[in-house]
Amino acid sequence: MTEKIHSSIIDEDCIKYVHSSGVTVLMCPMAGFSTVTAQFSVRFGSEDNCYIKNGEKITIPDGTAHYLEHKLFESEEKGAFELFAKTGANCNAGTSYDHTVYYFTCTDHFEENLEILLNFVQSPYFTPETVEKERGIIEQEITMYQDSPYWRTIMELLKGVYRENPIKTDIAGTAESIAQITDKILYDVYETFYNPSNMFLCIAGNFDPDSVIEVCERCLKKRDRVNFENVRRPEPPDVVQTRTEIRMPVSKPLFAIGFKRPDADGQAALEEYQYYNALFEIMFESTSDFYNRMRSEGMINNEFSDSVFMGRGYMLPMIVGESDDPDYVLSEIKKEIRAFKAVPPSKETFSRVKKAMYGNGIFGCNNVNGMVGTLTSAALAGLSPFSGHETLAAMNYDGLLEKLFALDEENVCLSVIMPTE
Amino acid sequence: MELYGAWLENKIDFNGRRRYSSVSIWLPDDRFALEGEKLEREGCKLLAECILRPNAKNGAFDAEITRLMRTELIDSIDSVINDKRSLAGYRGAKIAYEGEPASELIQGTHEQAEQVTPESAYKAYRRMLERGHIEIYASGRSDFAESEKILSEVFTGIDRGKGGEICSLCAKPSALKPQPRYVTENFPMQQAITRMYFKAPDMDDRFANVLLGMILGGMTTSRFFENIREKQSLCYYCSSVTHRLSKELLVYSGIEPQNAERTQAAVFAEIDDVCRNGVTEEELERAKLEVIDGIPAVYDTVGGIANWYMGQLHDEEYITPEEYVEKIRAVTAERVRAVCKMYSPDTIFTLSGEEAGE
Repeated sequence: MTEKIHSSIIDEDCIKYVHSSGVTVLMCPMAGFSTVTAQFSVRFGSEDNCYIKNGEKITIPDGTAHYLEHKLFESEEKGAFELFAKTGANCNAGTSYDHTVYYFTCTDHFEENLEILLNFVQSPYFTPETVEKERGIIEQEITMYQDSPYWRTIMELLKGVYRENPIKTDIAGTAESIAQITDKILYDVYETFYNPSNMFLCIAGNFDPDSVIEVCERCLKKRDRVNFENVRRPEPPDVVQTRTEIRMPVSKPLFAIGFKRPDADGQAALEEYQYYNALFEIMFESTSDFYNRMRSEGMINNEFSDSVFMGRGYMLPMIVGESDDPDYVLSEIKKEIRAFKAVPPSKETFSRVKKAMYGNGIFGCNNVNGMVGTLTSAALAGLSPFSGHETLAAMNYDGLLEKLFALDEENVCLSVIMPTE
Repeated sequence: MELYGAWLENKIDFNGRRRYSSVSIWLPDDRFALEGEKLEREGCKLLAECILRPNAKNGAFDAEITRLMRTELIDSIDSVINDKRSLAGYRGAKIAYEGEPASELIQGTHEQAEQVTPESAYKAYRRMLERGHIEIYASGRSDFAESEKILSEVFTGIDRGKGGEICSLCAKPSALKPQPRYVTENFPMQQAITRMYFKAPDMDDRFANVLLGMILGGMTTSRFFENIREKQSLCYYCSSVTHRLSKELLVYSGIEPQNAERTQAAVFAEIDDVCRNGVTEEELERAKLEVIDGIPAVYDTVGGIANWYMGQLHDEEYITPEEYVEKIRAVTAERVRAVCKMYSPDTIFTLSGEEAGE
């Protein structure tokens, strides 16, 4: 049974189909494109490190989701890379805090590639030897990130903001935590989280939806539903530290500033994400008075940028940059937020920024990867496929003001990487 | 007029061995304008204005803006140490490309940046307008007749070729060193990065060259990935890329410092094996499939087809994506082997957290 979902805002159709196994499939055929991208995702990321299953509380080593992602590409016979190599598709995977995604992009042999994707993700094969072999490779991946000051700035920020939230730990874990991962742990978490009802297949580009349904009917395996519940310790509302500092070889101090917000999920999270994007664009982006004043004072440079770091169980409006005096930059940011609370931005300014975000939304959907990313994000959040565009269209001035006054400029953490002496 | 989040972008980069700078505007198609605005026309005018009417007078850019840009340029040059892969690339290039512009960062040196004045920057800008090789690309659903008209008119006003020839595009790579140079530099970091530069000054088979880069380290079933990462667990990544204009093969890998020599030996062994025994038909077919499968995608993004032709600035004639596919299909295993045999090691550079010397 399929359902057609139309977006009048971007004039695109999406076909939703729920396979009898429980896998939700979202398809967006795009006329005039050559490529097609399919993403098979599971709501299991590095933050899902403690859960209750069959009445038993289970804690798994940090980095397990990422380790599992690496190992799924192998099988007893031919690995996934070898199979995709025969079709020419480009395949890869990624693990984030709240999900894991396996994907391919191709211009030919689409059905064959889809079959490979579905089969390898549903066919775990781990042995003590193959698990051991991967440990050195992943340790080197962890080390590589440890050498990146940009990555470390964010990781130190998350540790400064969150006391209990597992996103304060690196997605790949640590050398010590991954040393505890075994084939048994991987099979157990696979059984728990890689359950069809926890998985989503999203496809965009040049393909025939009927062929997708045919491949799904043939390849998706039915499995008994596994009941589990993620365990989260409550996160206190305030940041753990207002400032963190480490030293690394950098040319000038790097900083990241995070504004702690309560967790939000689903539609509420999406709205908050978009309002804070709009608000920070007005206050701090390249056309703002703040940006130009601080830049001409030499206190920031063109590395200064803002974003909203958002996922399942976390919401963190953020600013990053380089400055000889990050503490001064933070004090000026706080002043600027207070000034906006005293004299809010005009309705015209909000309207201009909203139009700009709308334009960016169109750009995002005018390519296959952008569209499939939109579908996957919506599916993982339990939202309708075009909810991002619909929420953007529904943004209003009062909502912006509400978020402005809800932003606590004192509940922040400043993470600084100072140059090594 | 509002342009719906349109953005202007300028960048400088290397194409082969020649620096180029580009200015572009990205904006929604007119059909998305909510109130019937002519976005393409206004965007094109804005682009032309940025290029041809900068904030300058009396032969100099605005002094305050120049000061700001100079500071940020110096920041960006100095920040090369922040990213270890970039730093390894920069330090390796200084040795491998000695004497070429490519031996320095695209932004130039800290010292050069300090010398920039409002007058010198303006002079360079005018030289670029008057003597630089300029190409204009547009892609999207429009026929771009209006854009063409606007840009034709503004460029008509420039005295091109004034004071000399239009800049030549030919690129001359540095010579192969008589003996490969092994250099290890230390930097406070946990990992080590090794970059191996191979040169083939007489190589003229660009299509076999592409497939050689793929087979050695350009795909997830490459020799480096399967034999050096997967079988020997020596690294998280070990990849290779070939450049037709500079006629080079570059191999790069992130490793444990103590594994540098083993990794380099493994890379040499794979290259030696291709030279001695060639590549298998299966390897060749995989590489062809992966390259060919990606080509139609150039038509799928607004910038894709523009970038396709822009990437051929230095070639004698343009080649279409379809022609490219045919040329790749025609490559034989013997041609790949022949190209591989033309490569010689030039520079083996390692940036390492461990104490070592040349």
